[in-house]
Amino acid sequence: MMTEEQVEKAETLGKSLISNGVSRRTFLKFCSTVASAMALPPAAAQAMAEKLSQATRQSVIWLSFQECTGCTESITRSHKPTLESLIFDFISLDYHHTLQAASGEAAEHAREEAQKAHKGKYILIVDGAIPVKDDGVYSTIAGITNLQMLKDVAKDAMAIVSVGTCAAFGGLPKASPNPTGAVAVSDIIKDKPIINIPGCPPIPVVMTGVLAHVLTFGIPELDIHGRPMAFFGESIHDRCYRRPFYDKGQFAKAFDDEGARKGWCLYEVGCKGPVTYNACATVKWNNGTSFPIQSGHGCIGCSEPDFWDKGSFYKALPQGQWGSAEGIAAAAAAGAALGIGAAALAKVHQNKGEG
Amino acid sequence: MTLLDFARGPALEWSLIILVAGTFLRIVGTLLLRGKKDLSKPKVKSTAGGAIRTVFNRMWPRPHFAQQISFPLMMAYIMHIGLFVVVFLYGPHIMFIKDLTGLSWGALPSSLIYFSGAAIVATMIALMIRRLTNPVLRMISTFGDYSSWLVTLLPVVTGMMAVSHLGARYETMLALHLLSVELLFIWFPFSKLVHAIFTIPSRAHLGATFERRGVKI
Amino acid sequence: MIDMNVFQQFREGIQQMGQMEPEVTLSDEERVTNAKKIFLKKIDRVLATDMESCIHCGHCATACHFAVSTNDPKYTPIRKLDLLKRFYRRELSPLRWMHKLYTRDITLQDLEDWQELIYDSCTECARCAQVCPMGINIASGVNVMREAMAEAELVPVELAMVEKEQCNNKSVFGYGVDEFAQTVEHLRSEGIEVHVDKPRADVFMLTAVIDGLLFNDALIGTIKILNHMGLDWTLSSSNFEAANFGLLSGYEVGQKAASDGIIQKALDLGAKTVLVPECGHAYPALRWDGPNEFGQELPFEILTVSEFVGREVDAGRLKLKKIEGGMHATMHDPCKIARHGGVMEEPRLALDAMGVDLTETPSNREMNWCCGGGAGVFLINRASDLRQKAFSIKIDEVNKTGADTIVVSCGSCRLNFLGGAMQANWQKDIKSFVALVADNLA
Repeated sequence: MMTEEQVEKAETLGKSLISNGVSRRTFLKFCSTVASAMALPPAAAQAMAEKLSQATRQSVIWLSFQECTGCTESITRSHKPTLESLIFDFISLDYHHTLQAASGEAAEHAREEAQKAHKGKYILIVDGAIPVKDDGVYSTIAGITNLQMLKDVAKDAMAIVSVGTCAAFGGLPKASPNPTGAVAVSDIIKDKPIINIPGCPPIPVVMTGVLAHVLTFGIPELDIHGRPMAFFGESIHDRCYRRPFYDKGQFAKAFDDEGARKGWCLYEVGCKGPVTYNACATVKWNNGTSFPIQSGHGCIGCSEPDFWDKGSFYKALPQGQWGSAEGIAAAAAAGAALGIGAAALAKVHQNKGEG
Repeated sequence: MTLLDFARGPALEWSLIILVAGTFLRIVGTLLLRGKKDLSKPKVKSTAGGAIRTVFNRMWPRPHFAQQISFPLMMAYIMHIGLFVVVFLYGPHIMFIKDLTGLSWGALPSSLIYFSGAAIVATMIALMIRRLTNPVLRMISTFGDYSSWLVTLLPVVTGMMAVSHLGARYETMLALHLLSVELLFIWFPFSKLVHAIFTIPSRAHLGATFERRGVKI
Repeated sequence: MIDMNVFQQFREGIQQMGQMEPEVTLSDEERVTNAKKIFLKKIDRVLATDMESCIHCGHCATACHFAVSTNDPKYTPIRKLDLLKRFYRRELSPLRWMHKLYTRDITLQDLEDWQELIYDSCTECARCAQVCPMGINIASGVNVMREAMAEAELVPVELAMVEKEQCNNKSVFGYGVDEFAQTVEHLRSEGIEVHVDKPRADVFMLTAVIDGLLFNDALIGTIKILNHMGLDWTLSSSNFEAANFGLLSGYEVGQKAASDGIIQKALDLGAKTVLVPECGHAYPALRWDGPNEFGQELPFEILTVSEFVGREVDAGRLKLKKIEGGMHATMHDPCKIARHGGVMEEPRLALDAMGVDLTETPSNREMNWCCGGGAGVFLINRASDLRQKAFSIKIDEVNKTGADTIVVSCGSCRLNFLGGAMQANWQKDIKSFVALVADNLA
């Protein structure tokens, strides 16, 4: 990771990279990777490289609310500095209470300064859901509720990036019974462009790729859930390397059966790949090493709204997501009782007709 | 709650409740109606054999009618067998049934299921064309015939679209498929689709009536 | 043996009845209410199951002689039950709360519109029940429809008049107690031993107006057989009539009165067997409906004459000789006796015993095509074209056998065959089964 000093010295991203020993060839490769991942035309990689290397520092305020810091961990936990981390270092992260050195009043002061200095220009990144029950008292920073802080900071933001499923859709804090009344950023802020980068956590390159796009070409095309189409346009299932097994009808029936060992499709053991939109199957994790299905576990659908409340992760998609069959048994009894009643009334009707 | 969550959750539960309650209401409410003891002397000791025989032998027409009804009969057979195959022998459907009932059995290869699905659609279209062009059928057809046809066809079409990733996104198609099945569940007890059950007592009654008179039908 | 002049007179008499005005004594509202009362009373779980089961496949149209011969979809059998179905749905179905929202109530106009479907174009032959994949007994539903029609004063005028005559005067076509007595006198004058009003008898023989007036051969044949077997039998001077126009018209009170009279007489006689003449509907009227109308199980058996003959031949109690010169014939199974009565093999046994070379029509026994005149349709003048079209199927069937003789064991079938053959200029020998048997007693 670059030191504060190094970052301060770099005026543009290009210079910053060179000073860190990253070759232009490596940088171009990154740009073309991002461009192809985002399905941009080939020429866009070159344009992105030009624009990025000349981009000046972008002020970013990162607000963390009801979250687990997993999203931050996802971006920062690397064995060595990566291009992704460099880009994150390059931006002017004016406030991030996990990463910043300052704390307490000084930290809040830095946020207020940045809000003033870059009014209307800064990007607001949010991770974590916002509790709104009881006026949002369930999560506060420096005595300010998350709800209030989000509203304050969002007011002068250029755009908002909701990082992680909690910020994008409410995530785990919102999961039933949702004691804090947690909601997503988009439930509160209605007048700013919001880019959702869900995932629990999101893929690092997806975050940097989206930021690169915002810096160079502006806000990318989004799907119905506000997610960039480039990374969330296709389902895990559509790009899964196990898809041929699905098409052939070869399914693992259990995690330790012959099919599982042969690497067959995990649809029947609950994989949510067909209804989950993310780049895991193409970009993968840990520098492209693997992703859950490759390591033998079905997708749990973490980049989809309310993924925690859709029944068991191990319940297959065609199965219903509801508790017990008691209602059905009761329905049979009720139906039979109604039938007996209907027939009895019909007989009364017939007897009266004859009387 | 997404559309799929709705389809997999409350819509499924309530449609099953309506299906079960409605079917019980209709069957019980009909079969418990007034019955009359027949005082005439039967020609046979027991009519049970006739009742059972007619339940089964009505699955195939007498040769006298084979010529006139062979086409619709063949279509109906393909459709019903196709429905059986698709509903009960497709892997994901077996999982669905297993989830509901705890029972499961082996599935057929998906390719056979797709073929059956196509056969159902083709025969149902053929039967509808016949219903729309045959003067007898036009005269006796009601709203219930056309709507039941549609309600039966929709799950097949949406299901085929979902597996082939056509139309909307998969989760939307899957939700629409489930919703169309749920519509079928709700429709079933209140429409002619309930013939799936009534065919048995209805044939049995006829078989018993004629058996009683010494006529084997 | 048949006097064709009498046959012509008979036909003319029926034609005259058709010119009478139907009698209406009730208000429109009462007529509809009365019809509905019948529906309400008659729908039981079997009929209800039928009402619930139809999938509108239309196969019944391929079984019906009226639908097939006219190719007119309005005669599709199941359609004849539409009003019954509507009533059932509105009043007795477990889903009545739902059906009431959109199912129209029955009007007098509806009933009037259905009259032709219920009387003219349905002989309650039940052939449609043989094709229905759901096993719906349409004929029994039509019978309930007839009863409702009768209560709504919508019986075709010919049937209504004959029924009224049978109910009020105890005579049919002017053939009553006195006319029957004359017939008996006539038979006795020809040297035939006729037992009437014996106080007790094993066999209580019935006859039918048509046999008294026209088909004497059938009447005499039956008597000859009984005498030949030396049985203890009798006719009744008051309860001789087996035909039941209450059943045919749908007038249940009349039906019950007619069958109760016979049953009571049989009980009084201590009869073991009631012998129903060659009269199709009379058999189910007494055999299946009789005990239910009377309200108790009966201690005697009820047999139609062909059933009786066949059984006795089979048991070796009745010996028949081979017909001289042989005979190539086909057989017409009357719907009410074969499909509704289960009497199919018995007459064939007897024909076989007489050495008849029997060629079956392509559709026979429980699959037989109705002649087109059953269930009183032969009386309805307005239905004559329809009847003749339906009869054309029968002509085809018989022609396919190559036989010149048709053996029939039902008076109204025989009447319809005679009329139809005459109209179609079709030369066939139409023979009474029982007369044929009586001619070949050994």
